[in-house]
Amino acid sequence: MTACPLGHGARVLPADSMPTQPSALFARWRDADALVPLDFRDGHEGLLVTRYDEAKEVLSDRRFSQQPQRMPRSDAQLDDGFPGGPLDDAGALAVASTNILGLDGEEHRRLRKAVTGRFSVRAGRTHRPRIAEIVAEELENLIAAGPVADLLEHFAEPISIRVHALVLGVSDDLVDRYAQCFVHGAPPQDRHDLLREAIEVRRADPGEDVISDLLANDDLSAAEVEGLLHMLSMSGRDTVAFMISTGTVALLDSAEQYRTLVADPDLVPGAVEEIVRFCTMFLTVFPRTATEDVEIADRTIAAGTTVSVSTVSANRDERRFEDPDAFDVRRDARGHVAFGHGPHGCIGQQVARVELDEAFRALVTRLPGLQLVSTGQHEPSPLANPVATYAARPVLVTGWER
Amino acid sequence: MMQIDVDRAVCVGAGQCALTAPDVFDQDDDGLVVLLDPNAAEDPESEGGTAVRDAEALCPSRAIRVTG
Ligand code: HEM
Ligand code: SF4
Repeated sequence: MTACPLGHGARVLPADSMPTQPSALFARWRDADALVPLDFRDGHEGLLVTRYDEAKEVLSDRRFSQQPQRMPRSDAQLDDGFPGGPLDDAGALAVASTNILGLDGEEHRRLRKAVTGRFSVRAGRTHRPRIAEIVAEELENLIAAGPVADLLEHFAEPISIRVHALVLGVSDDLVDRYAQCFVHGAPPQDRHDLLREAIEVRRADPGEDVISDLLANDDLSAAEVEGLLHMLSMSGRDTVAFMISTGTVALLDSAEQYRTLVADPDLVPGAVEEIVRFCTMFLTVFPRTATEDVEIADRTIAAGTTVSVSTVSANRDERRFEDPDAFDVRRDARGHVAFGHGPHGCIGQQVARVELDEAFRALVTRLPGLQLVSTGQHEPSPLANPVATYAARPVLVTGWER
Repeated sequence: MMQIDVDRAVCVGAGQCALTAPDVFDQDDDGLVVLLDPNAAEDPESEGGTAVRDAEALCPSRAIRVTG
């Protein structure tokens, strides 16, 4: 634990968390209290929610606002891999009009409702056959990449970006540039120029996708259409890829867990829930600030206090999950908060579930002998985002015999 | 008798209900909950009853209420 230079006992997020093994500090904090002091980058002294019940309470209580968007302090280095750069006025307006994780109440609901229809359970079902094809193609690419290959680069990232393009309606000829912009990282103007092209393609040739819906929605301004598309492209760019690659690490860390799925692929849907619980990516989600005094866990959170919920810690809360540090694909992990909770809960979660389901199903049915060679995910993780998410790093695997 | 109520005004379209009890809940074109069968869970001990209770518990916005 880092001592606070001011001596107030305020704390920062630790730097020794690994994506499959959170810092031991979280367990100590959880043991001590449901809410512990946490320092924010602007000097604010707020709180960290460490336990499951209180995490859900805070995330579903509308007396908490998404503003101001202050970020927690952390000892871990920040590495988002995205170059900065200038952006024209239209792009700046687009981004400013659609900061969905910064909005409350009706303003938030209006923008959210404009896109949720394409991420429903039914939408996931509709996309499943095409997602399975994409997964099968990328599995061949993984095998072709060499006797030892990086599953992040050659399997997880391409699946994630191609399915993203499919659901959003980014046309096939733009997918390579889309990947360049939103996986590898491109300056803001390049990203917006590409999205404008993608929008024009769908204006001329509408389909069953998010872009076509946005264009058909009279209630949205042009800036909101571009902004929502940009927001959705930034949101899913790394999370699904992280979860496929880190989930594979968790499965292969204990050969028995992988073999369990090889023997019975019908266990994969339940395993997906356990994987997202165990490999939760958000050390903390976007901070919430109390707009009035709020009673949580027998205490009053004073109006103006910023509260960060640790979904990593909540999903390892021994009060909710028995033996939480054990990875067990047979456990009923449903109810975890890896996709958040409440009005800002993940929009993409049902499509993400289908992607993860198809990806792990393909691995265990077609590569029963898969083995982990080495991975950066076994080392303390830098943060890929100031809200504090783990970064995705290479996952080298081998064992292609079928 | 078990009664299911859904509140579309608070539903956030997360789809946990349609995933958990697909015979009872669906989502409309905006992703918001639609109750397909208000009587689906007549018997709280049945499998349908369990799934509906699970959906109620998993819904992130408390949009589903099961009474009785
Ligand atoms: C396994 C993959 C994913 C994980 C673990 C994940 C996780 C999360 C979490 C924890 C939140 C809540 C953040 C908060 O409350 O501060 C969130 C929100 C969100 N996610 Fe995901 N996500 C995933 C995939 C996706 C995908 C594929 C999309 C599709 C574009 C997406 C779009 C969004 C959006 C738009 C929000 C903001 C919702 C709002 O503010 O109303 N996510 N996600
Ligand atoms: S689980 Fe709840 S929030 Fe999600 S779609 Fe169903 S009713 Fe709406």
